[in-house]
Amino acid sequence: MRNNTSIESWARMLDRWRRGATEKYQAYFMVAPAMAMLLLVTAYPVCEAAWLSLHRFILVFHDWRFLGTQNYRFLLSDGRFWTALANTGYFTAAAVSLELVLGLGFALALNASFRGRAAVRAAVLIPWAIPTVISAKAWAWFFDPAGPGGRLLWNPDASWLGTPGYAMKAAILVDVWKTTPFVALLLLAGLQAIPRDVYEAADVDGASRWRVFRSVTLPMLGPMIAVALLFRTLDAFRVFDAIYVLTEGGPANTTETVSIYAYKTLMRAGDFGYGSTLAIAIFLAALGISLGYIKVLGRVLGAAR
Amino acid sequence: MRVIGRLDCASNEPWDKRVHFSHPPSPRLRRRRFLQLALLAPLCCGRPRSAPGKIRLGFKYQPLGSNPGPLRELLASYERNHPGVEVAAEALPNASDVAHQYFLTALEGGAGDFDVLVMDIIWTREFARAGWIADLSFALRAEVLRREFFAAAAESGIVDGKVFAVPWYVDVGLLYYRRDLVPNAPRTYRELEQDALEAKTADAHLQGYLWQGRQYEGLVCNVFESIWGHGGSTWSDGRLQLETPQVVAALVYLRSLLRGGISPAAVNSAAEEESRRAFQNGRAVFMRNWPYAFTELQRSASLVRDRVGFAALPTQDGAYGQGTLGGWNLALNARSPPRNRLAAVQLIEHLTSPQANLLLAGAYGRNPPRPTVYRDPTLAEAAPQMPALLPILSAARPRPPTAYYNLVSDMLQSEFSAAIAGVRSPEAALERAQQHIDRIVGQDA
Repeated sequence: MRNNTSIESWARMLDRWRRGATEKYQAYFMVAPAMAMLLLVTAYPVCEAAWLSLHRFILVFHDWRFLGTQNYRFLLSDGRFWTALANTGYFTAAAVSLELVLGLGFALALNASFRGRAAVRAAVLIPWAIPTVISAKAWAWFFDPAGPGGRLLWNPDASWLGTPGYAMKAAILVDVWKTTPFVALLLLAGLQAIPRDVYEAADVDGASRWRVFRSVTLPMLGPMIAVALLFRTLDAFRVFDAIYVLTEGGPANTTETVSIYAYKTLMRAGDFGYGSTLAIAIFLAALGISLGYIKVLGRVLGAAR
Repeated sequence: MRVIGRLDCASNEPWDKRVHFSHPPSPRLRRRRFLQLALLAPLCCGRPRSAPGKIRLGFKYQPLGSNPGPLRELLASYERNHPGVEVAAEALPNASDVAHQYFLTALEGGAGDFDVLVMDIIWTREFARAGWIADLSFALRAEVLRREFFAAAAESGIVDGKVFAVPWYVDVGLLYYRRDLVPNAPRTYRELEQDALEAKTADAHLQGYLWQGRQYEGLVCNVFESIWGHGGSTWSDGRLQLETPQVVAALVYLRSLLRGGISPAAVNSAAEEESRRAFQNGRAVFMRNWPYAFTELQRSASLVRDRVGFAALPTQDGAYGQGTLGGWNLALNARSPPRNRLAAVQLIEHLTSPQANLLLAGAYGRNPPRPTVYRDPTLAEAAPQMPALLPILSAARPRPPTAYYNLVSDMLQSEFSAAIAGVRSPEAALERAQQHIDRIVGQDA
């Protein structure tokens, strides 16, 4: 009898294990196509670019020679690359912080209830909905010395898009105009997820509005702010279209970002070897940014719980 | 549209049972579907089939203007003279950069669905070196090309003594001036400066000299014109040499135009159209631009209509100015099948014939690449301003004839821009450009 039960339970256990294992294999089998697809479209190109970056490769002339790390050594001493990286960093830092502050302001305003709120919410999204190339063309006209923006510039020896220093500020302005609505939308979603009762409790405690904002709204909005920052930083770091339309990286490469430099090297000059080296450098920088954010994001989320 | 069935959404039956055909598709309908598919098929796959025995030539071109009629008529007249051949013309995107990228991917990928293609003259050497375009020596000789076309234009299509491309239409940098403000076009830089300053004193809102200082290909053309205007040259012994006193002087001069207030700061961000619009609104005395601008300046909306003249660019010492040669060539795809080649070369000859030159000049304002056409009285009727371009085009100079032109130009654009915007001294900018260019081109085996 006892023997019997033990055999039965063994059989049952074996069966369960077998079923579990098949299920596991089945699961692997099911995700395999998706994994293969992911590897094909992400891992393969990255590896291919890394391999290319070790070569002199002028595509059109079939000029293909292994160089080892020569391209990378040139990159370290390439003033144009470091300028482009500094430009990109400046653009990203300035644009993202402005967008965050303005976006938060918009989100708070739109979260309040007032008549015509739906219409205002829709209107705020318009800059974000217009294709970047089109809005950049309109802005280029705005910045023209004869255009409305050109007249705003009090210095007669400067032009928005032609004077080093001003051109990047113009590009930042365009980016802020375009993507503040996106940040506002994300933060608005975050604001609406904050439970009412927390505010009611604060009200009962007699907290001032500033105190409520600082001690309730901001901490509870923390994760959403982190997500918005992550999206925007990565986007701004790879900025291409708006600046390309406005200045093509000029004057004197003062608005040339790493993406524009890589594009020019790859597609215009046809230098696929060094172009890939630049692409890998951008990839590593973007990876660093994401890892940094994920670390911070994890801490913020942990603190929120 | 005929109703062939109805979809019952409210029913509880499985989806495939909910469609009720009023009657199954008739054989006629099925036949029509098959025909439709058969007609669509050539759009989807490779080289279209043509009628048996007929040669079908693919032709890729840049849009010439808003009215495709005259070009179509030109192609139709070719088909009438060659009954066994039909031409399938297809326009490229109307942006030079995008067209170049298209060819880069299509020709590198071995595309054989077009035979004749148009290319910017600065790409011809790159395409020839890459093996994308065919040697036309079997039908065209270099001496003939040199005899019949403007010298610099002919050379742009000749690589190592062999003909690879034939000039289709040409362009050259010009000096535009306001005839109501300046009696004669200035011959020297000094005269230009004085005229500009005088006009500016008379009218404080007026700007002096507009040119293209944006970081792009047009800037390279402007700087080369200034280099030649200072008696310099950059191409010797098959190598680009930038670190010479004349090149430095050219950059110093352009920078001084901006610093001295002869040219407005807007020049730093201006391409052709920005300069043209400002000049057209009567805001400047002088402008450097291509011939197309004249037609625009003569339109009824233009504020300077009938008050504009053009001349060769001024120079340092008053020598006749040399403008940058621009333009487009026609060539034969190296993948074009042997049985198409003769017909394709004949198409190129037809499109670049004196008659075709005249037609393109009249219908699209494209400047003929043959000097003889400028003496044809019908040209003066079709485009009255064009005969005056003859001496200017005869003096036009090409940009460096290198297969690496795009790469060289990218470096030149950034360093020329740096020197003109005052970010670096001309000497430092030229040193950087030379280093980068030598790194790539110098390793060429």
